Amino acid sequence: MFQAVVEDNFKSWRAEARRFLLAGVEPGEIIWTDETRTGLFDSELPDRAEKGVTVPREFLELAATAAYYDRHEKWALLYRLLFRLTYTNRNLLEIESDPDVREVRLMAKAVKRDIHKFHAFVRFRRVEVEGREVFVAWHEPHHLTVEPATPFFARRFGAMYFSILTPKGCAHWDLKELRFSPGVLRETAPKEDETEDFWLTYYRSIFNPFRLKVKAMKKEFPVRHWRTLPEAVLIPELIRKAK
Amino acid sequence: MDLKLKLAILADAAKYDASCASSGSHRKRQRRGIGNTEGMGICHSYTPDGRCISLLKLLLTNYCIWDCAYCINRKSSDVRRARFKPEEVVRLTIDFYKRNYIEGLFLSSGIIQSADYTMEQLTIVAKKLREEEAFGGYIHLKAVPGASRELILEAGKYADRLSANIEMPRQEDLDLLAPEKTLVEIENTMADVKSGIDTAKELNAEKPHAPLFARAGQSTQIVVGASPSPDSAILNKAESLYERFKLRRVYYSAFSPVTAGTALLPVVKAPLMREHRLYEADWLIRNYGFSAGEITEGLKDGDLDLEKDPKLAWALRHREFFPVDINTAPKNLLLRIPGIGTGNVARILKIRRFHRIRLEDLKRLRVILSRARWFVTTADHNTDVFKLDSLNLEQRLKPKVIQPSLFEPPPTLISAVTGQL
Repeated sequence: MFQAVVEDNFKSWRAEARRFLLAGVEPGEIIWTDETRTGLFDSELPDRAEKGVTVPREFLELAATAAYYDRHEKWALLYRLLFRLTYTNRNLLEIESDPDVREVRLMAKAVKRDIHKFHAFVRFRRVEVEGREVFVAWHEPHHLTVEPATPFFARRFGAMYFSILTPKGCAHWDLKELRFSPGVLRETAPKEDETEDFWLTYYRSIFNPFRLKVKAMKKEFPVRHWRTLPEAVLIPELIRKAK
Repeated sequence: MDLKLKLAILADAAKYDASCASSGSHRKRQRRGIGNTEGMGICHSYTPDGRCISLLKLLLTNYCIWDCAYCINRKSSDVRRARFKPEEVVRLTIDFYKRNYIEGLFLSSGIIQSADYTMEQLTIVAKKLREEEAFGGYIHLKAVPGASRELILEAGKYADRLSANIEMPRQEDLDLLAPEKTLVEIENTMADVKSGIDTAKELNAEKPHAPLFARAGQSTQIVVGASPSPDSAILNKAESLYERFKLRRVYYSAFSPVTAGTALLPVVKAPLMREHRLYEADWLIRNYGFSAGEITEGLKDGDLDLEKDPKLAWALRHREFFPVDINTAPKNLLLRIPGIGTGNVARILKIRRFHRIRLEDLKRLRVILSRARWFVTTADHNTDVFKLDSLNLEQRLKPKVIQPSLFEPPPTLISAVTGQL
């Protein structure tokens, strides 16, 4: 039995996975962990592989996306898929009804959706810091998406200073460079912005009470995001009045 | 009047236009400005009607010289009126955009003075946003039917999308409800938009940085349920508009009774299920190779069946096309199988190059087997397919209880990714 110690990022997993793959170590022989544990692990890797394993580019892209999924089991699953792809079936990724392929693809899809919702649900609040206008947002992503999701904001709002704070990490833009820092508590984010009153006025007015479809709304607007969205406080009242 | 009150009045007045798409445009941010578009639309919020908020959707004014019976802003309506100054719309757009509430602006208007004057006013706002604010976000402008060609061509320089609403499928409907409007005039405006788009594309083919024109194309809207025209008339009209003017989308807007109050109109619940079936049928025309004629032939009174989706209804009328062999059939036949969408058709075509497809594969792909199983043969023994010709298949496919979805249609066509309804 082998132990693979990975930090929670793709680069770290890829380095470990390459070592084990080249040595031909079977997926069932590896325990994937985030810190070195003591136990009866083998330290000497075997030498069972044929030389020169190549990995399809599509797998690397898929795995890099799935790696942002916030569940530790992803590392073992990704290795199993990589191993099967390398040693049993080069076309495995095309067979989307295969359970491993399907699960990894669903993980990547969930990550992409989380990034998309990140772009949609960030709400900036304007504050002044040392006489300078800064836009600060609080967001709660489901997966580890601060790094892949925030360059979007730099492209779009490049002429504004901004910070996006989340419990899983923060991103800061100073008009030149995007920097990342560890996660923070919600209390550190600003509580109000004068434009929100207008936004709530708009939200209330654009709603058509003759078309109440609460289920349709919740499908794309998950309730767990409501707590970070200023307009969501209006939802119960709007539903009640429409009925 | 206070800006917040104007916002309340002129957003309320704008909500009957269903379009909120913000996709299909690419624009880099200008150095000093804010905003860009990257092709993919984004829905920033959703209201309890299940609709997405992607754009700040406003009327410049709800004063109107016309008297269209189905419209809340008609001249004879007693609704409260307001009018924005162009700079007020600019300010709201920029303030909202900077806080990431929206992808951009959708600006329409009641008709004031004349079609030309109204079109000019809309364009002023878009021009200010682009030139004074260096705004790079999405702008959708209403193309006012009857406005001069020059003004339409001017508007398209600033807008990502233009839309002239056709409103009704037949001239008789307009004669009854919107006597000032003619299909000919509305379609002329669509033709002007199309020529602007085509010319810009030709120029761009020669010079890569030539200015673009309405780069996210044009769309239109049909009001459903205010006039007596059946679904077959609506779908035939939509199909012909797609073909003639290369529209990106036709939107269907269930007539809301709040706009009633005239003897010309039925006072009924908004026909949401009918609207939903029209969107499904429209989807089949655009993505599944169906023609409007195939979808509507043999329908009772020319209306779509509210109890089943139009693809299933077609399959039940055409059992001679089935069963379809999932492992050998060409793409156009796979697309006809009820319960299998375009995404899964693409997956099936890939998988079967390496692997014979069985029922369990379809299950893992989350094909809707309760519908598909009666119409396909697979590598294993699918016995349900023998019931294809049985007379009670239609009964089996009926929902066991009355679906609550009769009033709350499933949101299958509202895509978060594209920001399109």
